[in-house]
Amino acid sequence: MAEFAALTEDEFRKLCEFLYRQTGMVFTEAKRYYVERRVVDRMIATSSDSFTNYFMRLRANLLGEIELFVNAFTVNETYFNREDHQLACLTSDLLPQRILHRKKSTPIRIWSVPCSTGEEPYSIAIWLLENWALVDEYEIEIVGSDIDTEVLNAARTGVFGKRALMRLSPQIVAKYFTPLDNDHWQILDDLRESVRFNAVNIVEQSETQPNGKFDIIFCRNVLIYFDDASRRVAAENLYENLLPGGFICLGHAESMSRISSLFDVARFADAIVYQRPIREGDTHGN
Amino acid sequence: MATDKKTILVIDDASLVRLYYRSILEAAGFHVEEALNGLEAQEKLLTIAADLLIVDVNMPRMDGLTFLTALRQKELPMSAIPALITSSEAKEQDFDAARRAGANFYLVKPLSDETLTEFATMLTGGSR
Repeated sequence: MAEFAALTEDEFRKLCEFLYRQTGMVFTEAKRYYVERRVVDRMIATSSDSFTNYFMRLRANLLGEIELFVNAFTVNETYFNREDHQLACLTSDLLPQRILHRKKSTPIRIWSVPCSTGEEPYSIAIWLLENWALVDEYEIEIVGSDIDTEVLNAARTGVFGKRALMRLSPQIVAKYFTPLDNDHWQILDDLRESVRFNAVNIVEQSETQPNGKFDIIFCRNVLIYFDDASRRVAAENLYENLLPGGFICLGHAESMSRISSLFDVARFADAIVYQRPIREGDTHGN
Repeated sequence: MATDKKTILVIDDASLVRLYYRSILEAAGFHVEEALNGLEAQEKLLTIAADLLIVDVNMPRMDGLTFLTALRQKELPMSAIPALITSSEAKEQDFDAARRAGANFYLVKPLSDETLTEFATMLTGGSR
């Protein structure tokens, strides 16, 4: 494959607009290198000899190119027990509050979105097994969603490298993973079964709505990639996916108060999270 | 595969619960097998010899009490495998129903590490 010329300003702008409409993510000239590298990868993969040809193929969604293109742009850097103060908050404050007025037969529903290759939803499952004494008393449903279908396949397979496991103790790794070789471990089948994965774009209500209402949503480090308008849409969608009184945990650099006034701030010892207010007529979400 | 470990079959539809009990029981020196519901447990017992059954009540396809009632009508030695019922229900009628189905013991969830180990040891004839 020959070298590709850099995108012209006009091409770059058209591409970023397309990406924005598909995902809500905003890329500016400052991210040109990042964008170009991925476009060139896709041009090589599709044997496109010019940007114009590639862009036509993309807009025509030839052989599912939109999905492959979006997959190349999502950031999938994560690891087990990232920002674990929120996991501590989950078991010390959020779950105890969510079970106050609940029938034991009502499942506790937790959503990890975006879940990337599964580190977050599996971290939640392991955290509950290790830190929540009521783990066998309630039915717990964990759903992991992402816009990127390739990472979802990886999540379902549940094979992880050293980097992903770096924050887990050797005891936890030995307890919940099977070594495949020197550098890879597969999560136990029971844990793989405990999380249901599906593809969701959080700025598309037609995709978020079918997942139903949750007690707790983890939506970390994705809103920072959105512009104000997409952020607001995402926040409104997530609000609809929360039961009254349900909680949403964002990444440490994100603040819901700056995005939307729909949520109340809830301060706990381990974390600051956001809560869908309970209004008159709500039934505690149970 | 010859081992002097006692085998416990954990029957529960929730994978997290099976894993939770498995971790505790394996740490206490038991060999653990799993089944998702009563039907799968019936199949499993055709291929393994269990020393104890830990049986959840509410499960899809075949619930714990239906499974246990059917088991108690089978031939020896299968019909005599001790069974520990686990449930989040704690009403008198639930205890009675479990007793009628042939449960040796009934424990209300959540189970602590110590309680589970203590009852598993006792019902498999061990001493601690």
